[in-house]
Amino acid sequence: MRTVVLTQLRTHAARLIASTLAVVIAVAFVVATLVLNETSRSTVLETVGARYVAAAAVVSAPYDRPFTDDDVTALAGVGSVGAVAPSYETGVQASVPGRSGSQYLMVESVADAPQLRWQELTTGRLPQGTGEVAVSDRARAEVGDVLTVSSYDDEGEETTAEATVTGIVDLRGDPEAGLYGRGFVTEDQARAWQAPEPLEVRIAAGPGFSADQVRADLAAAAPAEAVVRSGEEQAEKAAAAMMGDSTALAGVLLVFGTVAVVVAGLVIANTFAVLLAQRTRELALLRCVGATARQVRRSVLGEALATGLVASALGVALGIGLAAGVSALVGSNSAIPLSGVAVPLYAVLAGLGVGTVVTVLAAFAPARAATKVAPLAALRPVDTAPLRSRPGVLRLVLGLLMVVPGVLLLAAGVLTASVYVGLLGGVLSFLGVVLLAQRAIPPVVAAAGRLAGRFGGVPARLAAGNATRNPRRTAATATALLIGVTLTSAFVVGAASTKATAQAGLEAEFPTDVLVRSYDADLPASLNRTLLDVDGVQRTAGVIGGDVTGPDGEPAYVEAVDPAEAGAVLRSTDKIDLPSTGVAVLPEWAAETWSVQDGAPVTFTADGRTVTLQAKVTGFEQGVLVEPDALRSLLPDAGTSQLWLLLDDGDPDGQVSTVDAVTDAVAEADPEAQVTGVVTQRDQLNEVLDILLLVVTGLLGVAVVIALIGVGNTLALSVVERRQENGLLRALGLTRGQLRGLLAWEAVLVAGVAAVLGVLIGGAYGLTGVASVLGNQGEIVLDVPWLQVAAIVVVATLAGLLASVLPARRAARTSPVAAIAA
Amino acid sequence: MSVPVMTVPGEPPAPATTNAAVRATGLRKTYGSGETAVHALAGVDVTFAASEFTAIMGPSGSGKSTLMHCLAGLDTATAGEVWLGDTALTSLRDDQLTTLRRKRIGFVFQAFNLLPVLDARENIVLPMQLGGLRPDPAWFDAVVARLGLRERLGHRPHELSGGQQQRVAIARALMPRPDVVFADEPTGNLDSRSGAEVLGLLRSSVKETGQTVVMVTHDPSAAAYADRVVLLADGRLAGDLADPTAESVLDALRGLGA
Repeated sequence: MRTVVLTQLRTHAARLIASTLAVVIAVAFVVATLVLNETSRSTVLETVGARYVAAAAVVSAPYDRPFTDDDVTALAGVGSVGAVAPSYETGVQASVPGRSGSQYLMVESVADAPQLRWQELTTGRLPQGTGEVAVSDRARAEVGDVLTVSSYDDEGEETTAEATVTGIVDLRGDPEAGLYGRGFVTEDQARAWQAPEPLEVRIAAGPGFSADQVRADLAAAAPAEAVVRSGEEQAEKAAAAMMGDSTALAGVLLVFGTVAVVVAGLVIANTFAVLLAQRTRELALLRCVGATARQVRRSVLGEALATGLVASALGVALGIGLAAGVSALVGSNSAIPLSGVAVPLYAVLAGLGVGTVVTVLAAFAPARAATKVAPLAALRPVDTAPLRSRPGVLRLVLGLLMVVPGVLLLAAGVLTASVYVGLLGGVLSFLGVVLLAQRAIPPVVAAAGRLAGRFGGVPARLAAGNATRNPRRTAATATALLIGVTLTSAFVVGAASTKATAQAGLEAEFPTDVLVRSYDADLPASLNRTLLDVDGVQRTAGVIGGDVTGPDGEPAYVEAVDPAEAGAVLRSTDKIDLPSTGVAVLPEWAAETWSVQDGAPVTFTADGRTVTLQAKVTGFEQGVLVEPDALRSLLPDAGTSQLWLLLDDGDPDGQVSTVDAVTDAVAEADPEAQVTGVVTQRDQLNEVLDILLLVVTGLLGVAVVIALIGVGNTLALSVVERRQENGLLRALGLTRGQLRGLLAWEAVLVAGVAAVLGVLIGGAYGLTGVASVLGNQGEIVLDVPWLQVAAIVVVATLAGLLASVLPARRAARTSPVAAIAA
Repeated sequence: MSVPVMTVPGEPPAPATTNAAVRATGLRKTYGSGETAVHALAGVDVTFAASEFTAIMGPSGSGKSTLMHCLAGLDTATAGEVWLGDTALTSLRDDQLTTLRRKRIGFVFQAFNLLPVLDARENIVLPMQLGGLRPDPAWFDAVVARLGLRERLGHRPHELSGGQQQRVAIARALMPRPDVVFADEPTGNLDSRSGAEVLGLLRSSVKETGQTVVMVTHDPSAAAYADRVVLLADGRLAGDLADPTAESVLDALRGLGA
């Protein structure tokens, strides 16, 4: 039988391309995820742990008992120790020549001993004495620049000194490199800049001593509370502290990997079923000449095993290549820690194992079916009756048993805003949907086919018939696509709603785009005019404020804003109450202090003038707010305390530069004033969500691509099966173009139905998902991105059409004689 | 019916002979090349008269099927010319040939004649619908009545007997009132009673409506239904019988050494 298996593989290699491709892509995805995760881990280890790996030992002290100079001297005095490098760390404010503001620099000491220095320089050299500093790229200084450095002692006393930049340290791959600038100085300089006593001492072994020896000696010499670790241990520890989040990300990626594998499994099962259906007579002939059912089954499974192994190996190679590509592309200039590629053995084994097992499992049912072939089937003429699949009653019952409670759980998840209940319901109902899809899709395709037949002419009518001829195969093909499309659209809709909800939340929380305020004195009267002239500022609203006397006789700070003016500037008034004529908005603390009920009169006085307003108690966190007229009647000269700015909508970069321009203008007019650009925060959140959406959509796209391979595959096999039929059609006068059209219609029907159903189901999942995840975080804004949803349907359908091109070309080559020469 | 004249510029003008429905001159079909070349047709000159029922006979491998494929525009000849009425098939492109088959040629095959997804009515009108034509209802009724299919029009092929399937195929072939109907072993898969029925129907379509029918068969009793039998051996014409009987056909075949 082995000869038969191998010969089959050789002869039918082309037919196996589709299932091979599906396995390759799915395995590549899984392997790339694992490899990228490992690469990211080892990169972090290399960068964050760089300082430790060269050390024979690292001695750490608890926070409340740092190392004293005596401790350090004692450590250095241990016989096997070659060199010690205590870590002095401090933070300073530094200003770079030619730039207005000062920036925070995190400063650390460079080891005296060369073997404990880990910094790599892109240019220049490390500092050799006080008054010198090497900085990271983020500090945006150049070699030779003289920085003005302010350090602060425990009492907050400021000391200013100058330091010359001697070199730029390369921190590439360090995920924290972009957060703030870093400075590297000598130990003496670090201590001069108020570095506290060190918590960590890195130690190099003396000549001829092993690291183990050093650690053993140190354990005896170090203070009792200190911990001695090897350099590697310390590096792992530092890396693990930083990698906490990224393992969660790897988890998410693996979920999508699982989806890809499941979809690939469906495609493979389908391919094998059809391959074997085609070979019915061949298998029957084998049975005729004496092969047992067992041998036939083993030959089929052997074929699956070989296909699975080869495809998985290719997938592993592709996955590693993919990871290397991503690493090369991303790692060189971003905060994502990726450099080179680290291939863990488990990733290779997992890829090979998953691919092979899925292929063999997927081939199992078709293999069983193949053994039921009666030997006589070899002798019977080709059966032209349409294939009928038995209605899977079990499947229907099972599907309903999963969908009904699943949907109930989903509803419960939404109502109680419970993520886990919703998740359970989602998974359960989706599995049910996949089972039911097998039954539901053929009639839907048939209905869509009747519709298409109305205006698509004979090819469309024939395609409608063909698409439902083998309901099980059509269902499996469409289900694979359905899964991908459902998950993609669930994510797209979910992300859009999450974004809208988060956006609304942020707008309510920070209703002003830019806030300019001064605590010490009034803002200059001319500032409003100046800011309105800044490019990108759309409107402003001024808030006036001043000290009056409250109902309790104590001083109270009251602000006033014109509600109409303010309403036009604020992005949201959900979390702020604006005053109206005759009303004073009082926060709860004020109402409590003054014992004023909601709706009761409240009286303010100033310089003998009195105003009585109706109190409106608000639950929001805001100051006492009245109308400008009311405040001016108490304080005729009340100055501007805040300016609220509304920026033009548009690209985030433009808004950021507007905020910068506003900051500069304000700094010039009033150096004491503060500018808060909330708009940039909102933009950042949007950007993060957009990137996340893009990444996940791309990942799910893999599942859709595999499913589309399935569509092309099913069509290709139909073409082979219907060779005679297509020949007959050609003989009867179907042109090549019409035959291609026939196949195209079939693909569009299957892909289109799967896409539409998938988008509907996915949309529902996305919305319920958002409702159950965000339900307990205040108001939810549901947003369906119609354009993207429509794009999913169009893209999936067009891709189905594309998948039909090759099979259709092949079909069009069918000779009309094929119908006669059976 | 009027026959559209499809002439291609630069081709020799159609000959004046009008009585011929199909005509082949110097027809050759060679598979392979050099020493391994197989001459399925080694130069055949034959004419099929209009409104006549002709049978092509010959032993297996004589080239009778290849001849029919070339005459019907299903296959292209290596050399020689085929004329359908005034149209030279050998100069047509694939799409032109397809359209021509749709309108001017009817087919009845041995097996796998009908599309399984379509019912009998849809199968019958398929070639016309492919060309976007509306079948003439009166003609449709006449054909269906003559073939006794009225009760079967809504049935799918797998719900029909072999004889019924062949009758549907004949109805389909007759629907567009083609220049010629080609039948390839139309009784090969049928029992003798259904076979006789099918042959009788083909014959009556020639007698009653002047349809031209060319049938390939290896069965002498089937050939006896024809007005004329053309004998083929080793890719060449090997005999021509008028008003054949089963016996005369059998004798002629014996003369070929079959």
